[in-house]
Amino acid sequence: MIPDLEYIRAIDLNDTLKILDVKNGKVKVLAGGTDIITGLQQGFSRFAKIYKLLDIAQLNELKSISINEDSFEIGAGLTFSEIIANNNIATAYPLLVKAASTIGSVQIRNRATIGGNIINNAPCADSLSPLLVYDASVRIQSNKGAKEVLLKDFLSEAYRTNLEQNEIVTHIILPKILKTYIGDFYKLGRRRGVAISRLSLTVLIKCEKQIIEDLRIAGGAVTPVAMRFTNIEEMGIGKKVSNKLLISLSQEIGRKVLKVTGLRWSSAYKLPVVQQSLYQLLVNVCKKLNGTNVA
Amino acid sequence: MSHKIEFILNGKSVCINTNANRRLLDILREEFQLTGTKEGCSIGECGACTVLMNNKAVNSCLVLAGQVNGSEILTIEGVAKNGLHKLQENFLMAGAIQCGFCTPGVIMSSYALLLENSNPTEEEIKEAIAGNLCRCTGYKQIIKAIKDTIS
Ligand code: FES
Ligand code: FES
Repeated sequence: MIPDLEYIRAIDLNDTLKILDVKNGKVKVLAGGTDIITGLQQGFSRFAKIYKLLDIAQLNELKSISINEDSFEIGAGLTFSEIIANNNIATAYPLLVKAASTIGSVQIRNRATIGGNIINNAPCADSLSPLLVYDASVRIQSNKGAKEVLLKDFLSEAYRTNLEQNEIVTHIILPKILKTYIGDFYKLGRRRGVAISRLSLTVLIKCEKQIIEDLRIAGGAVTPVAMRFTNIEEMGIGKKVSNKLLISLSQEIGRKVLKVTGLRWSSAYKLPVVQQSLYQLLVNVCKKLNGTNVA
Repeated sequence: MSHKIEFILNGKSVCINTNANRRLLDILREEFQLTGTKEGCSIGECGACTVLMNNKAVNSCLVLAGQVNGSEILTIEGVAKNGLHKLQENFLMAGAIQCGFCTPGVIMSSYALLLENSNPTEEEIKEAIAGNLCRCTGYKQIIKAIKDTIS
């Protein structure tokens, strides 16, 4: 059962910031509620000290999408259904939309917001690896003003971010991506539909005459916090695409995951799966690259 | 803490006072005796509590009382207002009901799908009801019933 609590509905963004300032630390911001309400219902300890909820789900200011010359700004209050339905986002950031459409069920996607997915920062949050690959930033606002922080620096540890109590994330900023980038998203769950990720990987490649000019790889659920595998990216950049190269990159991801997580009971199962998944993903993406053949 | 909430329920304006920790599911079943909406898992996994909120399928176990304020809610009772809906008739015809516990939720998900898309493909039907678990009938009959409603 959900404990007794106070519910406040914010009127607008200004009102939200004022309330967060006054009630410093004592109020939890609520959007779609798919993490908070299930957490309260199950008595999860990380939701144990919540007595006040500040509902921001209905704020139009958090639902805007603007397309600038060099970036997209996506409102943090957009639900995953709203993101999937937006053609501009689908064209510019197809991997984000592919990941979004694997999240939960229609019922969940109709409520869950992208901002909520970031703030909750679950290891298995499916939107994070595509956002990281797209070099996303978050716009953070408080009564003192606004700032932008790279998503990779914002996610601190599992279920935690660097958001202060008086701040909220208003937008996600995605730099424009050249059309020459090709990528894919892969998710492994315990079943095909409505599954929580055991592993998710996003890859984005830019190739010119078989030479990898840029390579971006991010993973979710394999490490405590979704992350970019920069050392593997560096291993690939500047090299000619070959089967041998893809194999060595995939082997390296196993080593890296082991380093981050330490040896666990699941390692013997998970590591080969991570390696094989990255390999398959790289092969598939390379096939899509014009004139690039992985022998 | 008690709250006044006003919303439209199955086409009628309603207003109640309720505690903030109650869910839309509790309000429907306990305040309005609309027991067609079922409680299964209580954590957004089974879909038995599915209703339409502003024409979108949602799990009513994941919506807090205050969030309902100003919205439009449709439950299975609203769908069957003037006798059985075509979807319900086809569920009966196709043998898509056994214990019936999942049925109101599945019907609400299918109803929401047909509102958005009058001619869905089989894949689209499967996606729309992926958040509704049925532990007896099997999904074949359910999908057939939905398909029969389209044609
Ligand atoms: S009771 Fe709401 S989804 Fe199961
Ligand atoms: S008919 Fe029994 S759960 Fe679906």
